[in-house]
Amino acid sequence: MTDNVVELRGITRVFDGLPAVRQVRLSVRAGEIVWVCGGNGSGKSTLLRLVATALSPTFGDGAVLGFALLREREEIRARVELLGHQPRFYGQLTALENLRFVCRMYGIDVRHALPALARVGLDEVAGVRASSFSQGMRQRLALGRCLMRDPDLILLDEPYAGLDVDARGIVTDLLADAERRGRTVLLASHEPPTEGTVHRRVQLESGRLECVGEFAR
Amino acid sequence: MTLQDATLRTLAPRRPALRATTLRVAWAVAEKDLRIEIRSRQALGAVLPFAATMLLAFGFALGPNRTLLQATAPGLLWLAGLFAAVDLFHRSYQSEAESGALEGLLLAPVHKGAVYLGKTIAAATQVLVLVAATALMVAVLFGLPLTRAPLLLALTLVLGAIGLSSLGSLFGLLTVIGARQAALPILVLPLVSPVVIGAIRATSSLAQGSTEGVAGWLGVLAAFDAAFLATGYLVYGHLVED
Repeated sequence: MTDNVVELRGITRVFDGLPAVRQVRLSVRAGEIVWVCGGNGSGKSTLLRLVATALSPTFGDGAVLGFALLREREEIRARVELLGHQPRFYGQLTALENLRFVCRMYGIDVRHALPALARVGLDEVAGVRASSFSQGMRQRLALGRCLMRDPDLILLDEPYAGLDVDARGIVTDLLADAERRGRTVLLASHEPPTEGTVHRRVQLESGRLECVGEFAR
Repeated sequence: MTLQDATLRTLAPRRPALRATTLRVAWAVAEKDLRIEIRSRQALGAVLPFAATMLLAFGFALGPNRTLLQATAPGLLWLAGLFAAVDLFHRSYQSEAESGALEGLLLAPVHKGAVYLGKTIAAATQVLVLVAATALMVAVLFGLPLTRAPLLLALTLVLGAIGLSSLGSLFGLLTVIGARQAALPILVLPLVSPVVIGAIRATSSLAQGSTEGVAGWLGVLAAFDAAFLATGYLVYGHLVED
């Protein structure tokens, strides 16, 4: 018996006639932290968005956390967090209001919002509108959302983009925390993650899964 | 379901997220939209001057004939409200487009119909403020009496605002999905005609101090509101999903 958290079976996604992800077969075991690497346009973001159910596959099928990718989307969404290129916040709302809104959408106690902001170093600007935040602060806010939700599967798409050294440390801490708690992580990045934080590397080239390699730990 | 799936489902127990009820989600979305509008004043700040300008233009075009002005005032009130509301629906989705917030709504494990209801509540509140302000302008500029049956007139404004918003909140989504802004008036204006006609006829009767036939028009408004809301609740998820 296997316990694959992600099981993709020949997933293809086509945009305007052009395949962004082609026939991808990928299995990720529970508790694994996998680095999805590849250059610009290799299909990393599309792959993560397919796993998060933000996109539907054009062909193929799969399962995430045991739930069917096509038929049980809400079950998957309740247990997965995607940190994508865009922070998905409202500029007119404060940092705290943004996280409280997330709490209400996910049925989480709103009292978890402020501690989550403290964990990413934004508690002192909790009452400041997100529109005045720098790119790095917005990324921290998105990390705060991820920490607050404590999902079973974390999908990080270029999490180091726009982050200073301190904030990169938050990502490293998040990965270490995920490993400690047995959470599964797919980390898409064109630059190598901090040494010792990932278990396995898979490479995408022009939407195809080219090679897979284990990291010595 | 395989044994493997069953094991993983046991490992991943049902989260509290799935207990976020339709009404709670709808209220959260509505409160968020209204908070954003109160702070930015993007929608009403832009559409109220548009409605005022339109009424003034019609006033000058129709001339000083008070009887003619009063006869056309209910129609102008709702036409000004309708055109301004279409712009308002587009703007209400702009905040969802920024920073990819719409994807956040999509990925929330809730019935997407609840998101639709929340956006409709917020839009209806704004449209109600818009048509109420427009009604005051019409009363001042065209001499339309509004105080002969104030409760029934208020009910007409509420039902009309819900009717416009229920369609606008559904098709306003198209302005951020694929940026099909031109589709909004093409889809909304013909479909919303029964609501506008019902609202004009009810307002016209009430302004004349007559309640004859008003109940029928209010019934028409309520029926279309219910049909639009039910349709929106059911199809919103299909529109917002990839």
